[in-house]
Amino acid sequence: MRSSSSRLLLGLLVLGLVAAIVPWADAQKRGGTLTIVRPTDPVSLDPNLETTAPGAWVYFNMLEGLLTLDDKMQVKPALATSYEVMSPTRVRFKLRPGVRFHDGTPFNAAAVKFTFDRALRGTPPARWASLAGSLDGAEVVDDLTVDVVTKEPYGPILRTLAMYCMGMVSPTAVQKMGADFSRAPVGTGPFKFVEWKTNTHVIIERNPDYWGDKALVDRVIFKVVPEEGARMIALQTGDADMVLFPSPAQLPALRKDPKFTVHETTGIRVVFAGLHAGMPPLDDVRVRQALLHAVDRKAILDNIMEGSAGPARGVLAPGVFGYKDMQLDRLYPFDRAKAKALLAQAGWTPGPDGMLHKGGQRLSLSWVAARGRYPKDGEITEAIQAMFKDVGIEARVQVLEWAAVFQQLRGNPLNHHMFTVGWVTSNADADYSLYALFHSKQVPPTGWNTSRYANARVDALVEQARRSLNQTEREKLYGEVQDIIAKEMVWIPIYTTKEIIATRGTVKGFQIHPVEYNLALWKTWLDR
Amino acid sequence: MLTFVVRRLLLAVPVLLGVVFVVMLTIDLLPGDAVTLMLGEHATKDAVAALREHLGLDKPFAARYVDYVGRLVRGDLGRSIQQNRPVAVELADAWPATLELTVAALLIAAAVGIVAGIVSAVWPNSVFDAIARLASLFGLSMPIFWTGLVLIVVFSLWLNWLPVGGAGSLSHLVLPAVTLALPSVAMVSRMTRSAVLDVLGEDYVRTARAKGVGEAWVLGKHALRNAFIPILTLLGLQSGQLMGGAVLTETVFAWPGLGRLMVKAIFARDYVLLQGAVLVFALAFVVINLLVDLSYGLLDPRVGRQG
Repeated sequence: MRSSSSRLLLGLLVLGLVAAIVPWADAQKRGGTLTIVRPTDPVSLDPNLETTAPGAWVYFNMLEGLLTLDDKMQVKPALATSYEVMSPTRVRFKLRPGVRFHDGTPFNAAAVKFTFDRALRGTPPARWASLAGSLDGAEVVDDLTVDVVTKEPYGPILRTLAMYCMGMVSPTAVQKMGADFSRAPVGTGPFKFVEWKTNTHVIIERNPDYWGDKALVDRVIFKVVPEEGARMIALQTGDADMVLFPSPAQLPALRKDPKFTVHETTGIRVVFAGLHAGMPPLDDVRVRQALLHAVDRKAILDNIMEGSAGPARGVLAPGVFGYKDMQLDRLYPFDRAKAKALLAQAGWTPGPDGMLHKGGQRLSLSWVAARGRYPKDGEITEAIQAMFKDVGIEARVQVLEWAAVFQQLRGNPLNHHMFTVGWVTSNADADYSLYALFHSKQVPPTGWNTSRYANARVDALVEQARRSLNQTEREKLYGEVQDIIAKEMVWIPIYTTKEIIATRGTVKGFQIHPVEYNLALWKTWLDR
Repeated sequence: MLTFVVRRLLLAVPVLLGVVFVVMLTIDLLPGDAVTLMLGEHATKDAVAALREHLGLDKPFAARYVDYVGRLVRGDLGRSIQQNRPVAVELADAWPATLELTVAALLIAAAVGIVAGIVSAVWPNSVFDAIARLASLFGLSMPIFWTGLVLIVVFSLWLNWLPVGGAGSLSHLVLPAVTLALPSVAMVSRMTRSAVLDVLGEDYVRTARAKGVGEAWVLGKHALRNAFIPILTLLGLQSGQLMGGAVLTETVFAWPGLGRLMVKAIFARDYVLLQGAVLVFALAFVVINLLVDLSYGLLDPRVGRQG
């Protein structure tokens, strides 16, 4: 008896010691207002009308989907608690009981059906309909059971449902508010809408009735500050706690300063110089391989990106389901001699002007690019242009405004050999990129096979992977696809984006997400 | 007088129709298109076609122009393409902020510019005149976004006296208004100086002085009243300049006005919203010019008699 009580005492003592030494992760403080500055106002707070970041950053905190992607890019339950694949085109979800929308409407199977009907059957359909592949809608089984149905077998369905823009909306609120809903959405999330003053701010507040762990701050204010310099000053003066799109030039100083924290993680966008494989001389795989050998990707990362981006190891980013390291550095090391040798094999030999010629023609590539659409895209294009020149290739770069570049890329035919683009695998599933960018039938305007890549084996593999709901099998198929593409490269992958957010040191508990749109703020608290 | 005003306002109608035409044509000729920009990289062909049809963008240019003007005549500015909000609401949200900023800047430009100009004219080639000339050169040459950022660094970051940006209180207004006013202060002070100097050399001023009228009276009653006509013309022109400058100032200071609305509309190729904003600017120009013309009559009775 005595010994047991002394053991208990000892235990308590040890516990106390541990508590004194280890700063408890959950010594969180409640309350306060988190002020965030970012460059632009939302288009809308309704995923039906906006799928881009300015709106998504806000509504992601108010609207929840059936599933969600955690910061390790794993699918996790949100409003659904479990699922079961019923048939290749039907997945059955059990819904979380006792959940209510911010307006008190109960969340149930009918609300799921309503959300999908509104988005997919509306005129025009939701902006995210194009992202949702074969998703066809939902069927009510009972109050807390719903079947999600696809038009054809659709392997990426889970990650599709876990996308940031698949949040459930309150049917009663939509019916009551009409068009106003898109400026004041009603969901089930940890924050609720308070106010949106156009071009000034959006305010959301803690939902005290949230079903899960409740948010720690009382309010979040999203302010618009278009000027990058002004955003950084706002962080320094304390006018802002968090800056989205911080100025890359100031990050090294912020990293050293204990008053600030720089949060960063590898994103899911790959920025690349695309090659038009249907246009001579790029239809010759040796020429394309030579171009890869001619580019010093590490120099670009070190000297142009200066730590604000990660290397591109393939056509997909590491967080994406199905990603495989293409071993580009081993397959295509920076090697001018190798590049020249490959070009010589293809018949391109140095002429009197030092540039490469074949049959009296100069090796000259036309290249369309924007400046400022992706971090440092203009600088990278210029750097590669110079690297090409070192091996005797002329690149005629045309820098246009993004909207103009976009129109050319969407058009068919494409009259340029090269283009600088970035691609986000929005649903974090390889299908999204490998199908739309490399299937031979996905040439614009249908899809995004801007390179005009065509390989029957790749077509068959991506089709098979799309139709399979066996995720292990899919992963294997995508691995094979990437092995084939690696040999016939139609891109020069340059970098994988990094998501970077700067906060004041007083902002604690914030976890940055590889998907730019998934700005989760409910675990964030203020230590002041 | 009334017929003059009515005639001038009626003359504004073809001007505005022309503005609408030019804006619409420019947006139409610009590469890039609202729908593909809205739906992004991932949009399917069908989705693009459906939205284009929904917004009426599949119709030919002429049909859209007639359609737009027809609705305009009925007082309907349409709904913005990107946000699907009534343009009238968007404009009502934004124009008071721009008006506030422009008026504040105009007041600063007028007050500081005129006083500095008069002092320079009364003591020409003095130390003050030299400083004013140098300051004017500076004010005119510095781009607004640069001066704006420098002011933010000094008054917000170092001194912590004023907020970095945004709108809401008088303290928010100070930096953007001063930034916007600087080039105009320079123009106004130079113009005032030369206008007052000219008038001070006129015969009737010499006569007044010969009669033994005090210098203050000479300046106030005889010189300034006559010097004011060119100054007023300049202020009218400057208010147009200021509205144009507001586009940059609003961006630097996160000021929620028409300028930023316009920039947003251009990048989104949202011609409906852009037209609404441009119409407000065009209308403001017409009204300001009218007010300037009317004020000539007040300052110079001869203008009124002829008109």
